[in-house]
Amino acid sequence: MQHDVLPIPSAPSIAGDRLNPHTGMTMAQTTPPARLAVDKLSKSYGSGAQAKEIIGDLSFEVAAGEVVCIVGPSGVGKTTLLKCITGLQPLTSGEARIDGQLIDGPPEQMALVFQDYHRSLMPWLTVRKNIRLPLRHLHLDRSEENQRIDEAIEAVGLSHATDLYPWQLSGGMQQRVAIARGLAYRPEILIMDEPFASVDAQTRFELEDLCLRIREQFGMTILVVTHDIDEAVYLSDRVVVLGSKPAHVVEIVTVNLPRERDQITTRATKAFVDERTRVLSLIKDPHRQEMADA
Amino acid sequence: MMTAQRWRHSARPTAYGVIGVLGLLLVWQWLAVGPLSGTSLPTVAEAIGALVQMLGEGGFWEDTSVTAGTALIGLAASIVVGVVLGILIGTSQLLRFATSAVLEFLKPIPPIVILPIVVLVLGPTTEMTIVLVIIGCAIPILIQTVAGVFDVDPVRTDTARSYGMGRAEILGRVVLPGASPFIATAIRVSAPAALVVTVVAGLLGGGPGLGQSLYQAQTAGDSARMYALIIVLGVLGMVFQAASQLVEAKALHWHESKREVQA
Amino acid sequence: MTTTADITATPVATPRRPRRRSRRIPSWVKWALAVGTPTLLLAAWWTASADSSNTFFPSLEQILTRFQQLWLFDHFLTDVVPSLANLAGGFALAAIVGVGLGFVLALIRPVRWLLEPIIHFVRSIPPVALVPIFITMIGFGNDMRITSIALAATFPTLIATMDGIRSVDGTLKDVSVVYRLTRAEKFTQVYLPAAAPQIFAGLQVSLQVAFIVMIASEMLGAATGIGALTLTAQQSFMIADMWAGVLLLGVLGFVINKIFDLVKARILAWYFGAKEAQRAT
Ligand SMILES: Nc1ncnc2c1ncn2[C@@H]1O[C@H](COP(=O)(O)OP(=O)(O)OP(=O)(O)O)[C@@H](O)[C@H]1O
Ligand SMILES: [Mg+2]
Repeated sequence: MQHDVLPIPSAPSIAGDRLNPHTGMTMAQTTPPARLAVDKLSKSYGSGAQAKEIIGDLSFEVAAGEVVCIVGPSGVGKTTLLKCITGLQPLTSGEARIDGQLIDGPPEQMALVFQDYHRSLMPWLTVRKNIRLPLRHLHLDRSEENQRIDEAIEAVGLSHATDLYPWQLSGGMQQRVAIARGLAYRPEILIMDEPFASVDAQTRFELEDLCLRIREQFGMTILVVTHDIDEAVYLSDRVVVLGSKPAHVVEIVTVNLPRERDQITTRATKAFVDERTRVLSLIKDPHRQEMADA
Repeated sequence: MMTAQRWRHSARPTAYGVIGVLGLLLVWQWLAVGPLSGTSLPTVAEAIGALVQMLGEGGFWEDTSVTAGTALIGLAASIVVGVVLGILIGTSQLLRFATSAVLEFLKPIPPIVILPIVVLVLGPTTEMTIVLVIIGCAIPILIQTVAGVFDVDPVRTDTARSYGMGRAEILGRVVLPGASPFIATAIRVSAPAALVVTVVAGLLGGGPGLGQSLYQAQTAGDSARMYALIIVLGVLGMVFQAASQLVEAKALHWHESKREVQA
Repeated sequence: MTTTADITATPVATPRRPRRRSRRIPSWVKWALAVGTPTLLLAAWWTASADSSNTFFPSLEQILTRFQQLWLFDHFLTDVVPSLANLAGGFALAAIVGVGLGFVLALIRPVRWLLEPIIHFVRSIPPVALVPIFITMIGFGNDMRITSIALAATFPTLIATMDGIRSVDGTLKDVSVVYRLTRAEKFTQVYLPAAAPQIFAGLQVSLQVAFIVMIASEMLGAATGIGALTLTAQQSFMIADMWAGVLLLGVLGFVINKIFDLVKARILAWYFGAKEAQRAT
């Protein structure tokens, strides 16, 4: 039943379901228009009696230039959420907007780094050609194209492997190729699904800093799913904590750390440790925190 | 809602399929009475008429059973030859290396190449057809059996040996079950091939059966009968394919469940 | 749909584990055996048939002499080249139609539903049985041969392409959607290469079918072509000529398949490399 036809981002019937009477109301009032807004999103797989609700009534926003991390237990529906946001999966109800525009197909401002990095690379293309593939239809001139590719490869530290095939690389290297492909595409919004899961600690630190750097350099907005609380706190301006069955927002934590961060000094500060503890306790026992807040 | 869904998922392809077949018949009919009316193409009614008439003939049923029977006998013989030789070759490294080049050469050569020789020696007989089927089917089965035997985990044979099993017992209880998925796949592919070779032997070598009937219809210029025979051959081909898939699925299922018990 | 999968499923049965079984036998012995056995067989054939008086089995020397006289190069231009040209033409047509139609059927569901039963039926007809139909319709010329070859050889490629396209990894499809590849890019840069391993498996079967139908179309009452010459030789009891024909057909069957293997290995180098890498882990 799956993938019979070219993936059609949203079937007309489902788009129809999504028209809800509140459309526009909530969004119009918030003063700075969010770059990315998810409003009462819910998502079920299957239909009829077999329908399984994965995400229920989930809302959050990401402002321009922000780095937001999504954390939550395995299998909660984080990947599903990203697929809804990137227009790969139709929503069951609610809506997702980018710059106020309803998302009903893959928006051109976005790029997604897939969790299944080894399956997301074309095994018949070398590293370089994999990164080039999405650039071709942008019709950049040759030198700019090459420059972007070189920079991205350089940034993820794979200059020695440009002419190798993905299957000749380790898992961590493949993951970095997938990241480089997203970087070279230079989206306005970069979305990454557990992008650093298979890389070693050293590279991981470097890639985290790379993330923060490109945010400054290109004014990118970045949304990252991660399992690692330290990483979430270190990277983000805000952390969205998800609870399960169905996935919902438990808490959105604003990270009270200066924007300039450094792997060694930031991680050693008391503020960092405190934030980390706060997020952790939220994940472990959301109710206690809710009560404490009240 | 549910039933509507069901309908979408199961009945719609079938409905489309029926429309497709009807459309094909329409186009055929149109071609036969229109643009191609002077040629040998019969109308649908003529072809179906010939088919119905043929179904009433005893000779036709005899030909059909001869074709199916010959293909099955040939296939059975191929399995015996292929599996026995395959196990022999697969269990001996020396034999495997010795035969590799010869098998590599013979593998891509279709039996139709040898047909003139076989017909010359055996004449237009059922034996000729069976020999041709064996030439065509035994080699792929043999090659797959060798691969299957080779694939059996040496640890398992060593274990069996350490439990004091004899050669024959190891063969029957470890090697053969281990190689069976390979053999089953080879047989599934070979069963329709056996039918094809049988028809080729009849059509080109004069062996008894539907192939020969087709040749006779062609030389007699009876095109309606030719089309009727083609339809019958298509149905027979589908039966052979479905049956071999079923047998393979059964065999593999057995293998899987056996695996689970062992694990 | 498992019903359409069987042709391409053949090569599935490959050993998965790396092997270390050839421990006792040195590699020179392997080579000696691999080269020695065929040589020995040929030598045995040569000596055993040397002064054969059996009409069916002339001496190998005689067969080779006739082989040289017939094919190198008396009938080369008149029979061998046309045969191979028909094969190439029919196969090329089959490949183009098979891959093209396979794409369409895989991607457009209603068309697939419409045509699948017909395709399933036609491909079950023994390919050679279609030759008489084309003979009565088109005659004995090259047109008939190319048409028969093309039609019969289309189905394996068609079915394999359909399966290949339909089993393209969902993540790859998602990647091409997210990165907004154009339709043309999706087809040529993602779907085609991703389905290539299966397409090539289908093409290889198609090539074998094409070869069989080439021979059959010549054997069924035609005057030219390798198949025709071979069968005529048999019917007029020119036994050595017949053997020479069989020999040529056998060698051609082997060589054509080998060439295909080489092309396949080249184009699918990434695929075999990836499989090898996977097996090694
Ligand atoms: N295409 C699908 N059809 C049906 N169910 C699905 C599909 N994709 C995912 N699911 C189910 O949705 C749930 C959430 O899956 P998802 O991959 O979004 O989780 P996740 O939070 O990303 O997990 P992880 O942290 O392990 O990556 C799982 O129970 C999964 O089985
Ligand atoms: Mg996930």
